[in-house]
Order: sequence, then C-alpha cells, then structure tokens
Amino acid sequence: MLKPRLIPVLLLQNGHLVRSELFNIHQIIGNPVHEAERFNHWGVDELIYLDISRSDEYDLRRDDQKVRHLNTITRIQEAVSRTCFIPLTWGGRIRTLDDMASAFAHGADKVAVNSQALRTPELIAQASIRFGKQAIVVSIDVLRHGDGRWEVFIDCGRTPTGRDPVDWAIEAERLGAGEILLQSINRDGTGDGYDLDLIRAVAGAVRIPLIACSGVGRYEDYADGLRSGAAAVAAANIWHFKEMADRGGKRALVRAGFNVRI
Amino acid sequence: MTAADAAFSRSLGINPMKYCSRCVVPGMSAVPLTFDDKGVCSGCRVSDTKATIDWDKRGRLLRELVDEYRTSSNYDIVIPVSGGKDSYYQTHVATKELGLKALLVTYHGNNYLPEGEYNLQRMREVFDADHIIVRPSVEALKKMNRLGFRIQGDMNWHAHCGIFSAPIQVALRYKVPLIMWGEHGFLDLGGMYSLNDFVEFTAKHRLEHLLRGYDWYDFTDEGLEKLGRPEAKEGLTAKDLLWAKYPSDEEIDSIGVRGIYLGNFVNWDGNSNAELVAAKYDWKASEVPFERTYRLASNLDDMHENGIHDYLKFVKFGYGRATDHSCKDIRSGRMTRDEGIAMVRKYDHVKPRRDLERWLTYVDMSEEEFDRVCDTFRDPRVWRIEDGYWVKDNVWGEPSQYGKAHVA
Repeated sequence: MLKPRLIPVLLLQNGHLVRSELFNIHQIIGNPVHEAERFNHWGVDELIYLDISRSDEYDLRRDDQKVRHLNTITRIQEAVSRTCFIPLTWGGRIRTLDDMASAFAHGADKVAVNSQALRTPELIAQASIRFGKQAIVVSIDVLRHGDGRWEVFIDCGRTPTGRDPVDWAIEAERLGAGEILLQSINRDGTGDGYDLDLIRAVAGAVRIPLIACSGVGRYEDYADGLRSGAAAVAAANIWHFKEMADRGGKRALVRAGFNVRI
Repeated sequence: MTAADAAFSRSLGINPMKYCSRCVVPGMSAVPLTFDDKGVCSGCRVSDTKATIDWDKRGRLLRELVDEYRTSSNYDIVIPVSGGKDSYYQTHVATKELGLKALLVTYHGNNYLPEGEYNLQRMREVFDADHIIVRPSVEALKKMNRLGFRIQGDMNWHAHCGIFSAPIQVALRYKVPLIMWGEHGFLDLGGMYSLNDFVEFTAKHRLEHLLRGYDWYDFTDEGLEKLGRPEAKEGLTAKDLLWAKYPSDEEIDSIGVRGIYLGNFVNWDGNSNAELVAAKYDWKASEVPFERTYRLASNLDDMHENGIHDYLKFVKFGYGRATDHSCKDIRSGRMTRDEGIAMVRKYDHVKPRRDLERWLTYVDMSEEEFDRVCDTFRDPRVWRIEDGYWVKDNVWGEPSQYGKAHVA
C-alpha cells in the first residue's frame, strides 16, 4: 500500500528561505541549506523546494557565516542536493524543458511547474514524455474570491488567469502531470487549516495524487487534509516554528489513525 | 531584470544601504529583514502587531502551557539567565506570577561587569530558585576569544555557544522538559517570524543564526584543519569544549525538552523590564557609560558585548548597537527617528579604546593584528576604499570616511 506522505515546502526568495503569508508578506528564515540538511535527520518523506524569487539575484547578504557564496540558482541547487538525501521536488522559475533538465542534473527527482504550465500547457505533455510523468508535478495556486468562487493565479499569486482549479487540474492530468500540488493563497501563512472544500473538489476530480498545502497551523490539521482526499500533506511555515516538526506531525497523524512512515 | 523586478529586489533590502523609513535599521543587517512597499522593515511591522494582540489571552495561554509541566518532585522549569534585566523579568514571571519552581542556568564567559556580577549573584537571594552557573576554564575561554575573532570576526562566539548549549544540557541532566527564554532576538529586532507563530527554540536556529553556522567542533585543531584554517589552531580538543555541545535529537526527544519564548506571551519591552526589576528587586544598571551605546541597562554580562564585540559589527556591516537600541526605542515610542539617527551618528563608529585595550591584554594580541584581522571582515556590500580609507554611506545621507584601511 502507499502510505500518506508528510512533506515540508521550503520557499526560496533571492537567496534566503522565507516565511510566507498570503503570498504577499515574506520574512527571512535563513539560508538555503541548513533546513534541508536538518530534514535528513528527520522523518520527512520528501522535500519540495520552490524558488519564488522575482529576479535572478541570490544573495545571503553576509559573508562571515560558515555557509556563504550561494549566489546563483545552480550553486544553491547543488548545495541543497549535496546536503539533502530525501526525494526532492524543485519548482519555481521553470519555463522550459532545459530548465527541467538542469534541475534534474542538479539533484531534483521531480520538478514542479506552475505559471508556465498555464501559459504553454504543451510543456507538460512534452515534459511528461521526456522525463516521465512521475517526475512532473503541476502546482496550482488558488484564490477564493469574496463570493466564494475559486480562481487559479500564476506568477506567485500576482496574475489572475480566469481558470477554475478543478478544470485546470483535470486538464493537467490529461496533459501528463504525475501529481498536483495545491496551494491556497487565502490560507497561506494564516495557520487557519487547509481549505478542505478546495482539496475535496480537486482531489475528487483527478486520479493522480494530490499534495495539499497552505494553512497548516497545528499538526492536527494534516489529518483533515488526508481525510479530504489528499494523498500527501505539505506545509511550509510550520516546519520552521518548533523543534522536531517531523515527529510532531507524524505523531499527530498516527493519533488520527493514519499509517505513516515513522 | 525589469525595472519592476529591480525595484522589488531593492525592496527586499538587497540594496545594502537602504534604511527602514521608520526606524534606523539598514538593509545590510546582521539580523536578516525585509522591507515592504512603504520602505518599512519587517522588524517594525512585527512590532506594530503587538498593539493588536490580546495579551491577557496570551497570559492565559502561557498559564495553560506551564500547568502541563508542574511537577511534585522536580524543577518545573529551566530559565537561562545572564543576570540581566530580562533574566530578572523572566524569573519574576515564572516564580512570582506563575508560581513555578525554577532552575536558573547561566553561562559565565568570565567577562562580567561588576554590576552584572552583582545582579547575577543576587538572583538566588531575591527569587526562590536554585542556580547553576557554568564556568568554562579561563584558558579555554581565552583561546575561544582569539578563535572566534579570527574565524568568525566575533570574540564572543563562545558566549553565544555557551548561552545556547549549557541550559539545554542542564535541562536534560535534571530531566526538566520546559525551558523559558526571554524574547526571540531575531523576531524582536528583525521581524523574522510573526508573533502568532509561537516560535520555539530549535537546534537549527542555534546553529545557523545564533552560532552563524559554526559549532564547537569547528574550533578544535581537527576542526580547524577541516575548515582550511590550520594556522589558527589553539590546541583545543573536544574535552575542552564539553560545555558547548548540543544534545542530539534523540536525547532531547527522550525528555521532551522544548524551549518557549516569553516574548510570545507578554508584551515584551526591554526598557519596561528594566524599570520593573529595578523597582522590585533593586536590580542595577551599569554605573559607567558604555563607549558604543547610550543604554545603560543592556549587556552587563560581558564587558565586550557593547564594546569591541559590537565594534566588529560596525566593521562588518557598518552599524552597531546604538542602531539596534535606537530601533527598539523608536518602535516602542521612546525615541523619534531623528533622535535615533543622532545616537547612530554619535556611537556607531566609535572604536572603544578602554574596552579594546582590556581585551588585547586579556588575549595577548597587538592592536596592529587586531586591525588587520578586522579588515578581512569588511563587507564589500557596505564598504569601499577611497584614498586608503574605508568609506560607507550613512543613514543621514552623505557618505563618510571611517579610518585607514589595513588591507592592500
């Protein structure tokens, strides 16, 4: 059987890992490798690493620390893959098959594609043929409008697309996506729990695994994501808040009756 | 890069000499922070949220949390203390307000100011608490002073390591699962997290931020060899640095040790803490003014903390403790930005003569060597050399010259 997976998401912005709130407020958590290294000691099943930089500048801003000179994306990718020995999904700023090939060459096991998948959907079909669908994650960022309507946004939540997340997920599956990573812009960084209606709607419409993300504020929230149909539960900020967030999360899942890898 | 992206990058603070429009913190700060589209830093924004928090509710949350840790036969809580105003305040809350039996733990780096030592020794008199003071060998400390300075540009690296290792060792040894720190320094100054995150102490935060990525093993002869710095060897072995070792995940998990920050549960303000503990416990601020900052109530546990340790921050990043203290005092409404800038102008650049001479004697180093090592830590994002002198931009506008360059 497939056990449900627990997955940390690291957000990289111009050289630093950041805490994110509503896709809008970003606070610097630290350098790109320490946390990835920490996950090796912990019982996490995979790692998703998303580059949300809006420019090509990567700067740690100080040179008196042991980790330094990580000032290009490939240097960061190499440093992460040198320190991280768990399955790694790399996403963000991936626009071409070459970008994907580069991510795989620098240690990624899967790539996550978001904006470019909507701009040129054939990229997913081509990537799925070239790298295999098991290596292609389509990442979907959803805003819930005041009237309750969902809309897919791209460019780190800045550009509306007019697309409905359920329709887009079905199309992504048809194009050859191997997994869906589903994020809620409204829940990001709030700690209010997952948008369970959204997870149910999208998970119910596709056969490929859905990774739920956005909103986890307590370890107990993970179980709600699984009960709503997610195959894996992910979170970003909460991994930075407390010691041994892996054990905290896994133990909460065990208490809720899920069979997870401890 | 588009103009919009460039503007966005600058807003992140990647432009090193950008300053917060509200306080006086520079983009190129030791504590990493971001700026929003109004040019306000994350430290100010997080500080703003203090006014929106229901602190009575937070107080109830704290009480509920500690209730789970009350015991009949052991210490209820470990409190890491330096003897400073915040230590007194933490211990006041834990023992007098929450009624906990506390075990106080101090890392003593051998450089206390007399007032700091007086305050420290009195803690077990004014509070019903037991107190363990961990004092490493002075010979090892002198070596660690030199190594910290040469390898990381911080003679007080040993102190950060001891302060954030010894209390956890003691908590494990006495099987006390709950540790209560004061404020989360990086959250308080730089807005690293939201106050709604209820961040706790982690090994990762210790290693990456508090210790700048280095750990005790980097300073043994073997470690220095691996770092490619064999010339700096001081003959230290693992047995000299037992006080610096951080326990394993398994050890910590076996007792369930967690470190909470009181700053998430009370409306934290260092000045108010100082006033309260001076009134209640006759806690003493420094009687002698510092050379590099105007506050008299901070950092009495190490005479170099506000002296040459802090001068190194100016050498690296172009600002110092007067900037930090001004930021805090501007945010809490005790100072205007203009008054803060005046403090920055007066103090940030000062080479602390009295303090420097004491340290050079303590570790047996010449001033010429000191200056030379300092200049290897000048950050190129901040400093430039013009006509043989170090020059940088300032919060008040025009650049200034700050001393002769000792590098080619």
